[in-house]
Amino acid sequence: MNPILTFIIILIGFYGLATSKNIIKSVFCVTIMETGIILLFLNLGNLEGGMIPILDRLGIAIVDPIPQALMITTIVIGSTITSLALMLCIKIFHHFGSIEWKVVLKREDKS
Amino acid sequence: MTFIPLLLVFVPIFTAVILYLFKTTKYSWIVFVGQVITLSLFVIYVIGLPDHLTHLLIIGGTDEMIRISFYNDITSISFVALTLFMWFVILLYTYNTNRKETKFLFFLMFLEGIFLGLLQTNDLFNMFVFLELIAILVTILISYKKTGSSFRAAIYYLLLNTVAAMMFLVGIILIYYTYGNINIQMVMNMMAEHSDTMTIKLAYVLMLSGISVKAALFPLFTWLPKAHGVAQSTISALLSGLVVKGALYMLIRINHQMFQNANYGTEEMLFWIGTTTAIIGVIFALSQKDLKQILAYHTVSQVGIMLMGLSAITGLSFFGGFMHIFNHALFKSLLFMGAGVVIKVYNTKKVYEIRGVMKTMPWTGILLVVGMLSISGAPFFNGFVSKSLIKYAFKADLVKMVLFTLINIGTVTSFIKFSTILFGPKQSLRVRRNIKQHVGMSILAFMCLAIGILYLPLGKLYGMDLSYVHLWDIMSFVDYIIYVGVGYLFYHYVIHKDFVFIQKIRGFSMTFEHANFLYLAYIILIGFVVLM
Repeated sequence: MNPILTFIIILIGFYGLATSKNIIKSVFCVTIMETGIILLFLNLGNLEGGMIPILDRLGIAIVDPIPQALMITTIVIGSTITSLALMLCIKIFHHFGSIEWKVVLKREDKS
Repeated sequence: MTFIPLLLVFVPIFTAVILYLFKTTKYSWIVFVGQVITLSLFVIYVIGLPDHLTHLLIIGGTDEMIRISFYNDITSISFVALTLFMWFVILLYTYNTNRKETKFLFFLMFLEGIFLGLLQTNDLFNMFVFLELIAILVTILISYKKTGSSFRAAIYYLLLNTVAAMMFLVGIILIYYTYGNINIQMVMNMMAEHSDTMTIKLAYVLMLSGISVKAALFPLFTWLPKAHGVAQSTISALLSGLVVKGALYMLIRINHQMFQNANYGTEEMLFWIGTTTAIIGVIFALSQKDLKQILAYHTVSQVGIMLMGLSAITGLSFFGGFMHIFNHALFKSLLFMGAGVVIKVYNTKKVYEIRGVMKTMPWTGILLVVGMLSISGAPFFNGFVSKSLIKYAFKADLVKMVLFTLINIGTVTSFIKFSTILFGPKQSLRVRRNIKQHVGMSILAFMCLAIGILYLPLGKLYGMDLSYVHLWDIMSFVDYIIYVGVGYLFYHYVIHKDFVFIQKIRGFSMTFEHANFLYLAYIILIGFVVLM
């Protein structure tokens, strides 16, 4: 995959954040952006025809292992943030009766 | 001794976990045990450091390039000291009210460990992880009251800060792509080699934009007042006093150290961003009627003043900005804590409904006065020293001096508004005595005064000669009295009348889409300055 394509995915996420009026859509736009970033980094560490990075076979071209290690951490953090944000969405729906940014930011708290 | 930086991260986290496992409120005092252990470890660590006060800890081997490392220098040690001190005061303040909330104390102590990690790490990816963890924990702490408005503020904070951290991550990726490692010290040494390539410039722009959201610079500060308005006073004090400062620490680490050799010439740009932030923050603060909102917008404006100082990179002005970070942490937490006590007794947040604090709660009133004098830069208080130092770099530039004076007058005016709560007849309210809270706040007030008077020996610790600031200069007293006079007139004839345009400013609220749109515009603006 071309790195330019991953940048386009990141920008799609940003476009969604700057236009979507729904909180859940915003949460998913953050997820899309994160996917783009993960793909970008995995791309940069990739090597055509490279082997698995286990260092008992010397002399063979291997894939850079650091991007993969780092991106696993990013995926974990990303899923934490998504779940926390969705939990907040549910709570907001219970309190305001809507998940539109405009309504939520204007409306007074019911409870 | 060698592994103390790691222990500083883990001892608070272990304390939090133990507290959570026992779950009974009987063992809440464990937080103090953990705090004392962390403090004593830190003291042992500082005594054992060599004279140049730098320490590099490589975890799990000796090869710096592929291992995770912790790096401490005088900047990070100062920040660690501030963090430990502030957490101690905050625990004292919050212990009586939140003793039974073990979950709250769990998140609070966990946040301390993570924050200490952010301050000491030497690895860019670790920095990103700590940044995200801080965002998650602060989100939980903001929404801890479980009201609708707190959830609303929490999700606004979480999403905006996640986007910022993601941009920071893209910057890290580009740096790894170019230099092959993400160790701050190593990248710093190699920086001059590729600094003129497009990739590194883009990385710089994205990292700076990520930090700007965390530091609540203009126009990205919209999350800060929302979060402060709904959180508990403890959390507001913590956010204003430390979490925002964490971003400024990252600015020093990344902009002033890592990209030091790149010479992108962004000092002037950072100065003007700081000035705009300070002015806009003051304008919003003047229009507010809510005690906590006034203080929250003042955090924005004070961050702008700090950036004005920090943008000088070296010299007395930089040290002034650096010192203002610490001073602001002291007096702003003092003000938030005092406001919290007042709000609890009066059961309202409106400035015009609270009267007679001085007679009802004399000691809280005196502490609030100390905080207000410090933030408005009165001689003998710490705000005066750092504000005078910040002025050093542009004392010959008329435009900048006029703007700085205007910001000062705005600050004084809004604290004249704030101080109206002190006057008036005694109210018949039930005031609960809380010794721990008052001890905590008194320590902060004492530190404000101590730094304001003993700044010369403090400067010597950092190898700085601060004799530029004259404490006994009659002109500074005259200046301050003029500020107060002008501020009073401005308050009496403009702010107090509550004109329509002031109401319009107060009603201003930014939607999430627009905040993101502004963020994109901000990235493009910095990119334009750096790339051109």
